[in-house]
Amino acid sequence: MTSNPLPGLQFLDPAVLARIGNLELVARTVVEGFLGGLHRSPHLGTSIDFAEHRAYMPGDDIRRIDWRLYGRVDRYYIKEYEADTNTNFNVLLDVSKSMSFGSAAVTKLDYARTLAACLSYFANQQRDRVGLITWDEDIVEIVPPSAKHLPNVLHALARATPQGPGNIERVFRKLAEQFKRRSMLLVISDFYEDPAKILDAFAQLRGRGNDLMAMHLLDTAELEFPYDGATSFEDIETGERIPVIPEYLRDQYRTMIRAHTERIEKLCGDQGVDYWMFNTSMPLDYALFAFLSRRQFLTRVR
Amino acid sequence: MSFLAPLFFAGLVALAVPILVHLTHKERKDVVVFPSLMFLSRIPYQAVRKQRIRHWLLFALRCLALIFLALAFARPFLDRPAAAAPVRSLGARELVILLDRSYSMDYGDRWSRAVAAAKRAIAGLGGSDRASLVTFDLTATAATEPTGDKGVLTAALTGLKPGAGATRYEPAFKLAQRILADSRLPRREVLLISDFQRVGWDGRDSPSLPAGTTVNQVDLADPKTSNVAVTGVDFRRDYAADRERVAITARLVNRSADARAGHSVTLELNGRAVETKQVNIAANAAATVDFAAVPLPAGTTRGVVRLGDDALPRDNSFYFAISRGQALSVLVIDGREGAAPRSLYLERALEIGDQPSFRVTTKRLGSVTASDFAGRSLVLLNDSDLPGGDLGRRLVEYVQNGGGLLVALGDRAAPRDRPAYASELLPATADAPIDRTADRGGTLGYIDRSHPIFEVFSAPRSGDFSTPRFFRYRSITPAPGDQQLARFDDGHIALLERKVGRGRVLVWSSSVDGIWNDLPLQPVFLPVAHQIAKYAAAYADERPWSIVGQVANLPSIFRDSIGAGDAAGNAEYVAVAPSGQRTRLEGQDRRSVELREQGFYELQRAGSRGEPRVVAVNVDLAESDLTAVEPQLLTGAMIARAGADSLSSVVEASTPVELERRQGFWWYLLAAVLLLLVGETLLSNQLSRRIAVPR
Repeated sequence: MTSNPLPGLQFLDPAVLARIGNLELVARTVVEGFLGGLHRSPHLGTSIDFAEHRAYMPGDDIRRIDWRLYGRVDRYYIKEYEADTNTNFNVLLDVSKSMSFGSAAVTKLDYARTLAACLSYFANQQRDRVGLITWDEDIVEIVPPSAKHLPNVLHALARATPQGPGNIERVFRKLAEQFKRRSMLLVISDFYEDPAKILDAFAQLRGRGNDLMAMHLLDTAELEFPYDGATSFEDIETGERIPVIPEYLRDQYRTMIRAHTERIEKLCGDQGVDYWMFNTSMPLDYALFAFLSRRQFLTRVR
Repeated sequence: MSFLAPLFFAGLVALAVPILVHLTHKERKDVVVFPSLMFLSRIPYQAVRKQRIRHWLLFALRCLALIFLALAFARPFLDRPAAAAPVRSLGARELVILLDRSYSMDYGDRWSRAVAAAKRAIAGLGGSDRASLVTFDLTATAATEPTGDKGVLTAALTGLKPGAGATRYEPAFKLAQRILADSRLPRREVLLISDFQRVGWDGRDSPSLPAGTTVNQVDLADPKTSNVAVTGVDFRRDYAADRERVAITARLVNRSADARAGHSVTLELNGRAVETKQVNIAANAAATVDFAAVPLPAGTTRGVVRLGDDALPRDNSFYFAISRGQALSVLVIDGREGAAPRSLYLERALEIGDQPSFRVTTKRLGSVTASDFAGRSLVLLNDSDLPGGDLGRRLVEYVQNGGGLLVALGDRAAPRDRPAYASELLPATADAPIDRTADRGGTLGYIDRSHPIFEVFSAPRSGDFSTPRFFRYRSITPAPGDQQLARFDDGHIALLERKVGRGRVLVWSSSVDGIWNDLPLQPVFLPVAHQIAKYAAAYADERPWSIVGQVANLPSIFRDSIGAGDAAGNAEYVAVAPSGQRTRLEGQDRRSVELREQGFYELQRAGSRGEPRVVAVNVDLAESDLTAVEPQLLTGAMIARAGADSLSSVVEASTPVELERRQGFWWYLLAAVLLLLVGETLLSNQLSRRIAVPR
């Protein structure tokens, strides 16, 4: 487990949040608490800024007339502001059966659900339109992005049930048709696929001008492989079983999973996809901080 | 290191189990559900690695537990504690061998083990060492002086047998203390060979041994004992057709954890088996056996109650001696002819006595002859005149020769008509009685509760003397030497004692007929009448048996035949012990004989050809309780007294079983097994917890 990046925010323990149940409450608690923690940060503060005045046109809302300026120049002018809700924030959540795995109190899906809720809530606070797509081997549910869809997103997250195997390549090819508008896409998955196929899938979305981020969630047991004693391991998605003596395979397994994540990270970097790998035992603020750092970067370059 | 049960080492074969368990990777029944096998399926399955032992610590714990378990069952012990071996490099030593010869050492093979232990100690003496052999039971006796001659010591052991005494450790320690204190040898050592009976030590501090003394013990106590003993007999006498009969009841006790069924108990009288009964005794319980009443022959009857054999035969026989004539013969003179009888209450009270029983004969004064005094224990003048003439003189002689006289002064006992000799027997008495009817009767105001008559009433709530009301009584004036035993509340004497020759005269200043007082109607009348009669008749309970260690007082035993020379202490006696040992007892210092053997002692005046007096002697039955005290407690008391640097207590046993029992290594091994199994459980649980089971 990494150290907490923001001292004072030790309350974002995934296990504790998972017990709250109400995702909106969880999201508000996490995000507002998190923003309070960042109060002195010089990088934040994307507010609605004044852009320009333009002459009043019939049909304009008279409430937008700058009466102070009229007093000076005796002409009607309308105040215009920097665009405020011009970004779609879509979460592409993997709800395949493998996401139901969790060696401790929190499964990967629980962690992903909370993470998605928090980030959606946060984006909604920033006046972004929020949307959600859950998928396994196919698209399970779609909540179109909208400034008013946060409750829909949270409800969809709450009822997301892991089932079936995952197929990221097929799903993302279909999804590429969905996004007509430039969006910020956050993919949350355990990425049990060949890294090349994952990148192919990403390429489907990236090519449409979407800003793509990938959060790779893995349980501690998947990373450390702490099992002991000869036993059979069953694939949670396919039901396939193989005999395993974990103590003999542990080192090899660790090497392979590390190589897998490093490969995905490298390929994501090559494609311009932001990639984070999270251990589900890590506090949520770590993931939030990663996300906000990215948002701050986007604001600066826009 | 030796083992009592080495066959249990076969259990080490079980070591194969943990080896196989740790070599074989038995696949768990529960399947681990894992998100994806995409990596695991790429790793080849290497079955050859199954042959490697896993979890070495767990494997070691399991193997050690099995090894310790097998060791514990094999009952290991050290052949000879190192500290018990003689140390020859520290100088000569003074060894005192304290050999317990109480009769409990007769139990099983204790005595042979004790002798063997003593012989080993003697054999272990160094060239400059000295040793003393001290045997002890109730008392301690030095069988040898301190000597380095092993032959003398071994010879002293030869022929020794357990005695009939009970265990007492204190005399032995005192003697050892004296021997060691007199020694100039640099090292001092005591070897206590005993069965360490609890009865031998009262828990008080033992005599302190000289500083630097080492105490070694040979504990001969058996871990489990079984003993049945006869603890006593009761007698019930009755008279049928003027013949005295006795019914004997034997009390038995079973001091073992097992019930005894069909134990035969035999009553022998004068060497002849009279009756045998079978008895069942529950574990750690007592039982009684009632034998049929038998007529008592003339003279002293020697009786024995015998049990069947067990490991301790000494307490299976109980000896007693009884004789006829235990009933007190009482002559009641109930006034003159024609007068109303006034002895009803007294007769009834005496007739129901059984310890002793009273044989009451009531006569009128005119019908009494001199021969009526012969053989009487007590003459009771109940509200009667004193006999005159020759009969009166015979009465005085009767009293002077040890007879008892009880006089009740009622309205018929006219003081003014007393014969001349009366002043020798009776105190002066006022003619007119004191009348207390006006104040509703007087009460007893003082009772000498230290006197043998009233001693039994000295305990709380034993005898209510405040209830009887005395309406009339006579005023008597005591002479010098008379003893006032009770007074009325106005100070007049109620009961007075006068010694006349060897006899006693008791004067009761009121009546015993319920006319001058209501004493006969009160509950206290019966016991007080018995007490007064027994005392006046100089009755002493005959002890049917004595205990080993007690002393037989010869003048007391021969008091009925004592002569003038005897009173001067010049009598000579001969005592024959049960073993046949004959001892002549002479002079003032030999007026008693110590009873050291179990059985019948025969005592006789030297030169007499009459029937000898018989004293039955039994062993002290406290010794039949074979409960042992921890040897360390006993020697610990000496250690505490002797100083911190004085002793090191070493336990030594004589047989492998005893050595193993004393050392008790198996307890420690089992405790280690327990700890190992706890560790194994914790460790295996911890290893099991390492398997994360997905939801």
